[in-house]
Amino acid sequence: MTGAGTAIWGVGTSAFGKQPSVGGPRLAWQATVEALDDAGAKAADIDAVYAGSVFGDPGTATRCLQQIGIVEVPVVTIENACASGTSAFHEARLAVETGRYERVLAFGIETMTSRFDGAISPIASDPDGAQGYAMPGIYGMSATRYQCEFGVTDEQMAAVAVKNRRHAVGNPRAQHRTAVTAEQVLGSPMVADPITLFQCCSIADAAAAAVIGPRGGSRDPRREVAVRSSALRSGRLWDHTCEKVWGWDIVADTAARAFEAAGVGPGDIDVFEVHDAFTIGEIIATEALGLCAPGGGGRLAESGRTALGGAQPVNPSGGLLSRGHPLGATGLAQIAEIVWQLRAVAGGRQVAGARLGAVETMGGGTAGIDGNACVVAVLEQAG
Amino acid sequence: MPTVSAPPPERAGGDPRPELVLRDGVIALAGTRCRHCRHPMAAAPPRCPRCGRSSMAPAAFGPEGTVFSSTVLRIPVPGRTPPLTLAYVDVDGGPRILAHVDGPDEALAPGSRVALSGWNEHGDPVVGRCGP
Repeated sequence: MTGAGTAIWGVGTSAFGKQPSVGGPRLAWQATVEALDDAGAKAADIDAVYAGSVFGDPGTATRCLQQIGIVEVPVVTIENACASGTSAFHEARLAVETGRYERVLAFGIETMTSRFDGAISPIASDPDGAQGYAMPGIYGMSATRYQCEFGVTDEQMAAVAVKNRRHAVGNPRAQHRTAVTAEQVLGSPMVADPITLFQCCSIADAAAAAVIGPRGGSRDPRREVAVRSSALRSGRLWDHTCEKVWGWDIVADTAARAFEAAGVGPGDIDVFEVHDAFTIGEIIATEALGLCAPGGGGRLAESGRTALGGAQPVNPSGGLLSRGHPLGATGLAQIAEIVWQLRAVAGGRQVAGARLGAVETMGGGTAGIDGNACVVAVLEQAG
Repeated sequence: MPTVSAPPPERAGGDPRPELVLRDGVIALAGTRCRHCRHPMAAAPPRCPRCGRSSMAPAAFGPEGTVFSSTVLRIPVPGRTPPLTLAYVDVDGGPRILAHVDGPDEALAPGSRVALSGWNEHGDPVVGRCGP
């Protein structure tokens, strides 16, 4: 599927932050009403909903959407770990592409602060999770391996947090909107050696949404953003035969499919939103996406090339490190950011002249596989 | 620091963690190996995930292995008291497993050698550093 005939008509998000008093439905209304208004569509125009949520109660999507009149349509909720929101986006895109539905709402939501005090609890039914292996540990393992194998330094990892927090100063919807120094990042408490607290995303409560339809079909086609491609897949087996760190191959494999379907290469992309749940995650993702050679992600992070003003900015929104990571909402917030970038309405964090953008989200938590799910999407300015 | 206990703790049915066993006083990882492609696993699925054949046979691995990577988890986790020193261990001739590491709260260097050493108070598999 090339996705050439599909477009994002509108996007919307709530603010991202620790806001347990707001509640899921109100977050959902903020995101969805903004996306509908942005698309020039009404609730009654929506033919189907694909929702992403990981920790939501049963019925979360319908509970959130029915009071704004999104009823009498198929509502399908997808759980794909951190990639749940972009998985919903991918399925919505395919549904339009194949003609199954015409106007589809991709929606993501997570309310985490009422459920967790800090890190997400490990999954007791998982061989690793049953040992108390929380998500920061998975990335700590990758960082230890990278420091040994490629000489990635603490300072290079900190450079990711410094860059993304600086970007978020221009993002009024981010949870953390103040810049931090490398000294502050490295001086923050150790979470999972060698990863410190400021190298970890925060939990958050938020929702995000996108209205997807045929290209040229919205009220104002000049504002549409074309979906050049999207790809979704689970990881390979990750076992004793794997020399790569966890999560490298799944991003590379998914990106290869998405870039091939879009007819572009990583060098053609003007702006990226990637999965920086932890600093080492962005280092691995930028390598696997092809922005640098394997093992070069640490040097790339400190080079300035991926900062605003560089040749290929990564996470101009501030990323998960600044927004926080409400799992179901994250992917659609990444999509929204790229839409705003390609429409040149991103204000102080705008990437000048961006015409092609890419989103990468990767989710894990299952032992023995190189990631539960990864989504890579390529979006293009349509005007 | 985890405390190593013997004999092995009772395992609840469906315990997903790698199972260590004592055989003639030697500790080993109890798993399976594909009769066809020789793929080793800590689990015992009905079919080999590598070659797809219904040919997994019981096997024992270890007790030594090589660290793929390691970390020290220093945040609270339900049911555990931090810090937790953890490692992915490629058990000799066998699969890669996650295990707790006995000894100081320091991540092990990838490539270093460890040996299965028992169980902590939660029944998690534990490895110890080999040699000096």
